[in-house]
Amino acid sequence: MQVFDTKQRLSFTGKGGDLFVVLIVNALLTAITLGIYYPWAKARRLQYFYEHSELDGNPFHFHGTGREMFIGFIKAMGLLVLIYAVFFALMMSMEPVLMMLAYLVLFGAILGLTPLIIHGTYRYRMSRSSWRGIHFGYRGELKELYRIFLRDGFLTLITLGIYGAWFQMNLRNYVLSHVRFGSTRLEYKGDGLDFFLMNLKGYFLTLITLGIYSFWWQRDIFNYYVDNLSWHFGEGRRMQFKSTATGGGFFKLMLGNVLLVVFTLGIGLAWAHVRTMRFVMQHMEMGGDADLNLVVQTEQEHSSAMADELGDIMDIGIFL
Amino acid sequence: MSASAAANFFDGQTSRPHDATVAIREPDALEVEVNGERFHWPLEDGGMQWERSSNTLRITFGEHPRSVVLTRDAAFIRLFVQRMQRAGRRGVYDRTLSMARQGPLLFVLGLLFLAVVGYVWVLPFAAERSALLLPTEVDRQLGQAAAPELLLELWEDTARSAVLQQFGDHLALGDRFELRYHVVNDEQVNAFAMPGGHIVVFTGILDRMDHSGQLAALLAHEATHVEERHSMRMLVRQGASYLFLSLLLGDVNVVVALLAENADKIRNLTYSRALETDADLMGMERMAQAGVDPEGMVQLLELLQREAGDMPGSLSFLSSHPLTEQRIIKARERAPQLTMGNSRQPELDRLFQQLKERSTTPSP
Repeated sequence: MQVFDTKQRLSFTGKGGDLFVVLIVNALLTAITLGIYYPWAKARRLQYFYEHSELDGNPFHFHGTGREMFIGFIKAMGLLVLIYAVFFALMMSMEPVLMMLAYLVLFGAILGLTPLIIHGTYRYRMSRSSWRGIHFGYRGELKELYRIFLRDGFLTLITLGIYGAWFQMNLRNYVLSHVRFGSTRLEYKGDGLDFFLMNLKGYFLTLITLGIYSFWWQRDIFNYYVDNLSWHFGEGRRMQFKSTATGGGFFKLMLGNVLLVVFTLGIGLAWAHVRTMRFVMQHMEMGGDADLNLVVQTEQEHSSAMADELGDIMDIGIFL
Repeated sequence: MSASAAANFFDGQTSRPHDATVAIREPDALEVEVNGERFHWPLEDGGMQWERSSNTLRITFGEHPRSVVLTRDAAFIRLFVQRMQRAGRRGVYDRTLSMARQGPLLFVLGLLFLAVVGYVWVLPFAAERSALLLPTEVDRQLGQAAAPELLLELWEDTARSAVLQQFGDHLALGDRFELRYHVVNDEQVNAFAMPGGHIVVFTGILDRMDHSGQLAALLAHEATHVEERHSMRMLVRQGASYLFLSLLLGDVNVVVALLAENADKIRNLTYSRALETDADLMGMERMAQAGVDPEGMVQLLELLQREAGDMPGSLSFLSSHPLTEQRIIKARERAPQLTMGNSRQPELDRLFQQLKERSTTPSP
């Protein structure tokens, strides 16, 4: 495969002070509305991160509104209340069999909802993201995601977690490879075995070095995520991503963030976020034979924010 | 017309950037010039949207796929935003944000002040009010759900419970709730009340009493917890402050969350102490009404103080009923102010003797 020279084309232009103001206003409005403002606060926060992430000097844009996320939030809450209502109704029966069934329902619902949350969140987030007026989109199928979850989830269980590395890679390969940007698409090609060996090495070296290697392990994971990602424009033309992150860089980033947050009693959180974003963007270089000016608009708008909110409530991190 | 500013234009069809200029054409249009072509967009039109981030102004037009204009010309951005705000398109958010930008330090301090005021005064007040709005049926249900299981784990002396029930009935302490009394075989010098009416007295405290006034005081104290719905008020208060803190500190770091949590615990402890004193003083009023000398409360508290001295800390009544010394002083002050109702003292003394005689564990 052809190897391209890469250079830095992504950047993060946010500033700690600006983000701090956004976060503090969010906290204020969320507190005085007893939490109802939360979806709007989330929209503001996401908008800040998108607006200050740039590719070739042009910012990304998040189109999501607090209103649609609020509707999603209400729907998600309704679903969770329903699940818990069934759970408690079964528990109140005091019948051992029904009580067992109650746990089955609860855990079944939580596990069963995960693919739905990933699918819905990608559909929503991608359709609400754009760059230079061209929308992103997600074309993955829910059925396929369930198939991966069932098959790999089962294999992970019977291999006592070892297959988890393959599970993660299969999931990442599927989801990221179905992200569209106008007429172009992303592709992720991770290999379960490589990922497993890399993590195995990281785990043992971290143990042996009493944790010091963890920064280099972190770098390896980051590199694996970035280096296997590419952006395809059709007719064989593509852009390849390349990580330039170093273990020392991760050490400086993480140590700095911990100090920033702990010694300011949390006020420094905004600055820590900015440092992290800047680090990630700076170390994702790009190179290739594609022309970024030739992307054609193709995606339609998609509206439900329910899965996004459900994932938020259940604390499922969706960005793989 | 404003001076025109350099901008990038994207037509919504492809990602190709076009050099453009933008200007405000009074009275009410935005003029965009791209590749020698000019078009105008009415400023008040709903189809036009704009957002400003730190240094970029983004204006979009029409239906999906929308065309986009981006400019970083600071002078133009200022002018445009002023013009749009004059048209009255400024929400609560923008006003709060500009306030926060003008004086971040003052804003944060003001916020902190508001949070503290809310947490210390507004929140407990609102929580107490809403707790008392709940029907008493909720207390009853709560007690009914918890009592059978709890009593199952304790070794109840049903014969003595029956006598204690008679003793309690003579005092007629229950008003809103039907009070059920239980004697439990346990060396702890303690007693407790559950919401809705179950009152549990350990033999450890019963055996150390030497006259009926102390027992009447103990029951009056516990009955006050039930009647004044202290558990419910505590529960709602704690729930409310927990909710408030987790909303406020949702995104903040662990250290602050930990500090806040501990501060909250200390505050709850202070509140539970206040409730204990309330139960003493209001219990004394109940005693007086029932024709029992409220001095009994002073003697009960003195008994507790004596016992606390030779008990291991974890078992002592002090751990849940702290600062006995101050409670004694308050009870002493209150006792002479109360007038007693008709006395049923002989009957109470008789029942108290019965309770003592049935004692399974010899009193020290």
